[in-house]
Amino acid sequence: MKPDTIAVHGGFTGDGVSGAAAVPVYQTVSYAHKTAQELADVFAGKTPGYIYTRIANPTTTALEVRLAELEDGIACIATSSGMAAVTSAVMGLLRAGDRIVAATGIFGGTVSLFETTLKRFGIETTFVDVADTRNFQEALTEKTKLVFVETIGNPRMDVPDIPAIAELAHKANIPLVVDNTVTTPVLFRPSRFGADIVVHSTSKFINGHGTAIGGAIIDTGNYDWRKGAFDDIRQLSGRVGQLAFLVHLRNLIYRDLGGCPAPMNSFLMLQGLESLPVRMLRHCENARRLAQFLQAHPKVSWVNYPALADNRFHARVSELFAGYGGGLLTFGLGGRREVFKFIDSLRLAKNMANLGDAKTLVIHPASTIFHEFSADEQRGMGVTEEMVRVSVGIEDFEDIRADFERAIDKSL
Amino acid sequence: MNIVVNGQETNITDGLTISELLVEENVKMPQMVSVELNGQILKRSEFDQTVLKDDDKVEFLYFMGGGNGAD
Repeated sequence: MKPDTIAVHGGFTGDGVSGAAAVPVYQTVSYAHKTAQELADVFAGKTPGYIYTRIANPTTTALEVRLAELEDGIACIATSSGMAAVTSAVMGLLRAGDRIVAATGIFGGTVSLFETTLKRFGIETTFVDVADTRNFQEALTEKTKLVFVETIGNPRMDVPDIPAIAELAHKANIPLVVDNTVTTPVLFRPSRFGADIVVHSTSKFINGHGTAIGGAIIDTGNYDWRKGAFDDIRQLSGRVGQLAFLVHLRNLIYRDLGGCPAPMNSFLMLQGLESLPVRMLRHCENARRLAQFLQAHPKVSWVNYPALADNRFHARVSELFAGYGGGLLTFGLGGRREVFKFIDSLRLAKNMANLGDAKTLVIHPASTIFHEFSADEQRGMGVTEEMVRVSVGIEDFEDIRADFERAIDKSL
Repeated sequence: MNIVVNGQETNITDGLTISELLVEENVKMPQMVSVELNGQILKRSEFDQTVLKDDDKVEFLYFMGGGNGAD
């Protein structure tokens, strides 16, 4: 099946009972088994079956199979949020004393996890600018156990050279984890470019309607856990082969941390995936047109959208994402006062901390998502006072343009 | 034709694909099974195209939990 067909049909061929065409919501905590022996066999892993929804659930399984197929991976674990996906993946690999090399421009929540929360458990991170891939090489030490990047950093809108970073991670025998939230498998399949683990916040473009929080971890099959740098996973691979990392998560880290999705949320993600290929192209088209409109506007000081011809990452976007720049852009408008006035004057676009919704969303990152960071730290993360971040929706472009034009005029 | 399925010598119809093997062997919960062929996990997109050969070693793996920790 082609990806657009997998998005609609993957992971479900019927419930075998009712003929239901949509994946049923298995709103249950646990699963009854006919005999004591059968449940004992399921616990022992001798026979397949469900035990408890914190570990696995049939609605969630359908989502996991569909996402694994879309990402061209070997298997997937769905989580309660994108942060639960990153936390489970990273804590499943690292121990106290290990180090991470991560891109500077990644999501603020992930920065906080790496810089503050994981530090409390003895895991430290070196952040590097993705513009020059040599920064990654220079940051690697013997203690580095994983490299973490996003396909398009947000809000810096920087694009790492993923194939080159994968190559240097593999030379050091460590996995590359790629957060594919903002590009989705519609624009980019990291598995084809050397990524070992793909993580998602499915709350964004995959859900597509701002109705449920979720995340996912996909093993692409590229990293050979049998020869890998992780003793416990290598040991497990003797029994379960290349599935070792995800079995290790399912049966230990993910199970113990408790970051499972609600079945209803898995249903909403499955529904979102069905229209994702259509929506994603519209997000990209509207974002490109809005970027061009803003670039030509005399009151706008700058526009950052990686698919623009004069953007410093244009060549990488062309190579990796077939020229699509995604649905996010940032632009500069005066200072904080003007940005606030602009946001307050919008009628269509919503002012909120989310992205990837069908609706156009705006936010002033410096006073919201990044408010806990100092001005210096913000600058390092590419956040400035005059910056507006836009998640461009799928409305008629002329309505978005008119809304922005009116609000910009009122702001200055 | 003989292959090894989960460690057991098994006689199967010649020229079966992985998808057809799942049906012929009446594999439980085929939607959820992961298939390892000669030590490599197959991607689901490969199930229809991968034709089995004599002496192939196939493992059906389930990835749904088990072990300790369920209430």
